[in-house]
Amino acid sequence: MKIAANTMARIRLAFLSSQHARWAVLWFAGMAVLLGWDLLFLNRPALAQIQTALLNSLVGGFLVVLFSMVLGWLSALGLHYLEQGGNRTSYLLLTFSLNLLRSLPQIIGILLGYVVLTILILQDVLRAPILQVVSMSFVVSLFVFLEVSDLIRERIGHYRALDFFDAMLCCGIKESRIINTEILRKNSLAHLVHKAVAVFGMAVFLQCSIDFIISVGLSTEVSSTNFPATLGSVLARMDSKQDILAIGMVFTDVSYITALAFRHLQGINIAFIIVFTLVCTYNIANGLVRRYHL
Amino acid sequence: MRRKLIEHIGSIAFVALIFALVILFLKDREASDRRARAELVAPYLKLPSVDFGNPRDRALFRETLDLFRPRSRAANDSLMKAIEAYRMAQFTDPGMKTGTGDRGLSWPAVRRLSGMYVRFIIVYAIVLGLTFYAAQTLAMIRFVRMKQGRSSYCAEFLGRAKAWNRPEAGLSRRAGVVPVLVPLFKALAKGIAYAVLFSPAYVIGYALRAGFEMDSVLFMIVLGVVSNGLLVNYANKFYTLLVAESRKGYVETALVKNLSGVYAWNSPEGISYRSLLRLPRRFPGHVLQHVYLNARHQYFPTLKEQASFLITGLIIIEMALNIQGHLCYELLQNILYRRYDIALTIILGIFVLVKVTEILVDLRQHREERRYENRG
Repeated sequence: MKIAANTMARIRLAFLSSQHARWAVLWFAGMAVLLGWDLLFLNRPALAQIQTALLNSLVGGFLVVLFSMVLGWLSALGLHYLEQGGNRTSYLLLTFSLNLLRSLPQIIGILLGYVVLTILILQDVLRAPILQVVSMSFVVSLFVFLEVSDLIRERIGHYRALDFFDAMLCCGIKESRIINTEILRKNSLAHLVHKAVAVFGMAVFLQCSIDFIISVGLSTEVSSTNFPATLGSVLARMDSKQDILAIGMVFTDVSYITALAFRHLQGINIAFIIVFTLVCTYNIANGLVRRYHL
Repeated sequence: MRRKLIEHIGSIAFVALIFALVILFLKDREASDRRARAELVAPYLKLPSVDFGNPRDRALFRETLDLFRPRSRAANDSLMKAIEAYRMAQFTDPGMKTGTGDRGLSWPAVRRLSGMYVRFIIVYAIVLGLTFYAAQTLAMIRFVRMKQGRSSYCAEFLGRAKAWNRPEAGLSRRAGVVPVLVPLFKALAKGIAYAVLFSPAYVIGYALRAGFEMDSVLFMIVLGVVSNGLLVNYANKFYTLLVAESRKGYVETALVKNLSGVYAWNSPEGISYRSLLRLPRRFPGHVLQHVYLNARHQYFPTLKEQASFLITGLIIIEMALNIQGHLCYELLQNILYRRYDIALTIILGIFVLVKVTEILVDLRQHREERRYENRG
């Protein structure tokens, strides 16, 4: 009994003292409450649509994180070795290309990427939905990986300035091992996790926005319905838009607020999931900063 | 600085060149595609006895095709589809209509786009200025609250609710429940504010669509500032810089040298709301003055990424809310109808805007750094 009480007290303490864990639990709790509410009041086809869209968006978000980490790591290490190797022309070319990518507003870049995806869908190259989700995520990651690249470069730069780097080189440890194991894995994991959370939030936001935007279509033959359903594309459907429009009714008739939770559940649900996920992601990232003094 | 300028101008020139080549390639390909499509279906459309608008004639034509070429049913299908697509394009494709004005990138189109571009720049500049100011203000308020040792409103509410039953804690039952509930209401208000600030622009836009004019510049500006998480994210960045700066050694030295380190609101040695809100911000005799100036110096370069993200937000607003007559709505429409020359010109314009912002930020940063190093 005493052990159970102690364990509970420890969990409670950990829960209260770490903001990131609190918000992660809050997100799951929020989603569980929403699911319960939907099971009671939302029709089954709409619920199935939302579940598929949520799953696709989350999978998309995780894939963006994965791709961004790989691309960020590759570009940061590429720049590092080109700089160290004295290969000035290649270094300048790579820096120039990355800066070019940085200056292009993300949504424009993703929009152009979606135009290419549309062409591939029209030519029947991209048929399987999972392949489409992967390619959509890859396109998004092309415009967010620079944050990861900057972070890795900054971490390498920080540790290079310390004696520890040269000392390890003197001990005969390979530079790649120092960077990948000692700097990135052992001393920058918290930073990378924090960045991964931030990238996830950004990915969800960008993917929802682009899917909402292209609901009018990127070609006269292909529209967002040709892509796998995500939160953004389901929100862009007429019935969801009507639900969001209904929020405006509350300003003229406050009592209508009760109707929102029953009559306009689909659109309100998706909007809530998007906003709640973004808020929770922001707080989890902030909690990590506070916990690990990043 | 010269190297940076060359890089910026070089990237503008590079992108312009690439876009020009793409436009030329697409124009050439589009013309040849159109010619090929027309050549494929033209002989059939000229058949005197077949009216392709009539379903019976279409069915008869299809059967005749199958009779003549029984082994190539798939090719017959494709031909029927091509004829249908061509006929539909005659009605829907602006490129095939006569009397619809200029179809590609022409001077009238450029003039029309220029007006939209200027309006876009004005909105962008105002939103950038407002978010720059508001992000710093929010971060400063959060920083001062942190220095005051204030906990979150929820924790404050829980603390007061616990203390309510204990008169020794300072809250008596006679004062009523109002002092206990105030932090709860504040927490609720903060929650709603967060929900709004994190909402994508299209959610707020559609929610307010019934009551506001979507295409007004004022609405665009307000939406640009408060939505898409822009304000919260950049306020958080500035807050992080303030916290990092406040941990540095010179702050301790300044306190020893008798600068004020009191963070109480509106007290003689503390921080006044007025000094926090006015521009330029001044906190004479207070250590926050130096913390703020140094944090602001580091924050300034983030304007470059803020500019890019802000433009992303404005594009989302204009495209998602279908605000007609605005630059980004025009961009989406041009992509939709495959007028890639106009679409790429608009994208180039937006890219140049980001680059000009980056150049201005770099110039300002360079000047400041020279001043810091006593070279300017």
